[in-house]
Amino acid sequence: MIEADASRQGQALPRSAGDRPRLRPAARPWAEPSRLGIGIVAVAMLILPWALMLVDGGNYVTHLIITFFVWGIVAQCWNLIMGVSGVYSFGQLALFQVGAFTTGVLSFSVGVSPWVSIWVAPIAAVAAALIIGLPTLRLRGIYVVLLTLAFHELLRNWITTGPQWISGGGYGLARVPRLGFDRLLGPQYERVFYYYTGLVLFGVATYAIWRVLNSPIGLAFRALRDSEDYAISRGVDPFRFKLFLFAFSAFFTGLAGGFSAHYNGLASTSLFDFGVMINLLVMIVLGGWGTFAGPIFGTAILTFLTELLRAFDLYRILALGVAMAVIAVAAPEGLVPVLTRAFHSLFGVLFEADEPPAT
Amino acid sequence: MEILNRLVQALYSGILNGSVYGLMAIGLTLIWGSLRMLNLAHGALYIAGAYIAYGVLGGLGLPVPVTFALAVGGAALVGLFIQLILINPILEKPGRDSAALIATLAASIIVQSTILLIFGGQTKQLPPVVDGGFKVGTTLISYQGLVVIGAAVVCLLLMTIFLRASRLGLAIRAISQNMDAAKLMGIPIVPAFVVVMVISAALAGLAGVLLGSILFFTPSGGFTPMLMAMVVTIFGGLGSVGGTIWAAYIIGLMESFLAVYVGPSWALPGIFLFMIAMLVIRPNGLLGLGEVRRL
Repeated sequence: MIEADASRQGQALPRSAGDRPRLRPAARPWAEPSRLGIGIVAVAMLILPWALMLVDGGNYVTHLIITFFVWGIVAQCWNLIMGVSGVYSFGQLALFQVGAFTTGVLSFSVGVSPWVSIWVAPIAAVAAALIIGLPTLRLRGIYVVLLTLAFHELLRNWITTGPQWISGGGYGLARVPRLGFDRLLGPQYERVFYYYTGLVLFGVATYAIWRVLNSPIGLAFRALRDSEDYAISRGVDPFRFKLFLFAFSAFFTGLAGGFSAHYNGLASTSLFDFGVMINLLVMIVLGGWGTFAGPIFGTAILTFLTELLRAFDLYRILALGVAMAVIAVAAPEGLVPVLTRAFHSLFGVLFEADEPPAT
Repeated sequence: MEILNRLVQALYSGILNGSVYGLMAIGLTLIWGSLRMLNLAHGALYIAGAYIAYGVLGGLGLPVPVTFALAVGGAALVGLFIQLILINPILEKPGRDSAALIATLAASIIVQSTILLIFGGQTKQLPPVVDGGFKVGTTLISYQGLVVIGAAVVCLLLMTIFLRASRLGLAIRAISQNMDAAKLMGIPIVPAFVVVMVISAALAGLAGVLLGSILFFTPSGGFTPMLMAMVVTIFGGLGSVGGTIWAAYIIGLMESFLAVYVGPSWALPGIFLFMIAMLVIRPNGLLGLGEVRRL
């Protein structure tokens, strides 16, 4: 897409030694990030839990933000597969559970230190992703939907009916050891350390995804999604790229699953519920399917909205469905691109570069 | 004798399963063949049929056959709404595949949560059309089961005749073979899509009503039948009606044989593993019609 833009404007396309397409500066904003903006956000995020602690003892809102970190990672990873590379995989939640149960079984049933087992979680998730990915990713469309849903159902089946040390009797492992943060400064500050751990995981995952999206690899994925035949004829091997993406997103998903299990002290089989998957999907769809900021925005909205609407829980699911339907019909690309465009058309005069961000 | 009893048991429940899967899968395959989209609302239409029958029976107290007809009509109506409100507006848009996936998933959530709000989450069951049954060996074969099988077979035959002999059926087949050519020949595409959706919704509703009198159901109970229908659709070769009917009975029998001879908890995993193996070996399905000849 960016190549096409450049050639339309009659510019010679510079090629570097490694024969990778060079991107125009506007298309690679990571090269010159606004240090001030990032710095302000980072400092704000660092201070936030202490500020919240002054307000309400910090427990409730901090917990919500940690939940946001976890699901934000998963939503971004799923969006990489669904939105960016156009593989309709419904196996992301299962990979999350692979991570949660791996570290849960290792630390609770086997007795490994949680600080060790949490690193086995992403490895197990990547292994699982390769196992599903190898047969699945050569297929397309409906086959992928079916096989990944089947993987989800199989895993749910095996874990809920598995032996006691995996299934915990069907509901999951209820006493996964926590990370021991309460011994650092005292139990009242435990959540603050979980917040920081979650922040680091979220930050690293987001940065990695940002880099992948805005690299030649990211361009290849978008090319594959938009026209697979054309991308293949230009030398993009869909299978290799998709497998890489699958493994990459499984790593962070599994890590988020492991972190969530240790934070909540729980690896629950109820997370296999279809409703959880729908919730995740709405996060992606609402914010913007295939965009960078979309899933983050969607996760933030849904995490806090769910809490606000807890009293109307039955109607919440109905509302999610209606929201999804409205988005699908009226704004299939999601809220973030729509809002960005509205912002640009309202305040576009103020900005020199009126280009929409690379999505 | 014991061997024979188990065989009868497996055959009976396999044919029963196969009939219902056939009804479900025909709708999916019709939609896949003509609209080129995966209808994730199919399971919701199935469960809507069962719940409409339950509501009509409890609220109005009409005779059972009338109730069932109303339920099938109700499911068709839900399908019509889904098509008109959600699918038609996105047909011509870019990024249709993902939009259709989201739209049908949204429809299934809306239908399911509406059912949950009206009827609550408890398990329900419909009364059978006919009571009683007879025994073959130790296997109880209920008349209701025979009604289900009979109704399914009649509907599948009618569907095949409809697609081969009627003008509308020919139009649908033409669309599924080459949409652009069909458009150029003056076939009204969008009305044909509406017809396909209504038919497939009615069949899904019928499956729900028929099975609702044999099994218990809950608002989210459409998910597993839809998954099985997807397995059947793919196994039969996407978009092939003949292949789908064969595949429905093969999968149904395979499920019941696995359940009887290996163990009930192995039925679903066994079929999924088989499915994965088959997709790796024969990605075009059992009859492997490929892209050219469909329906």
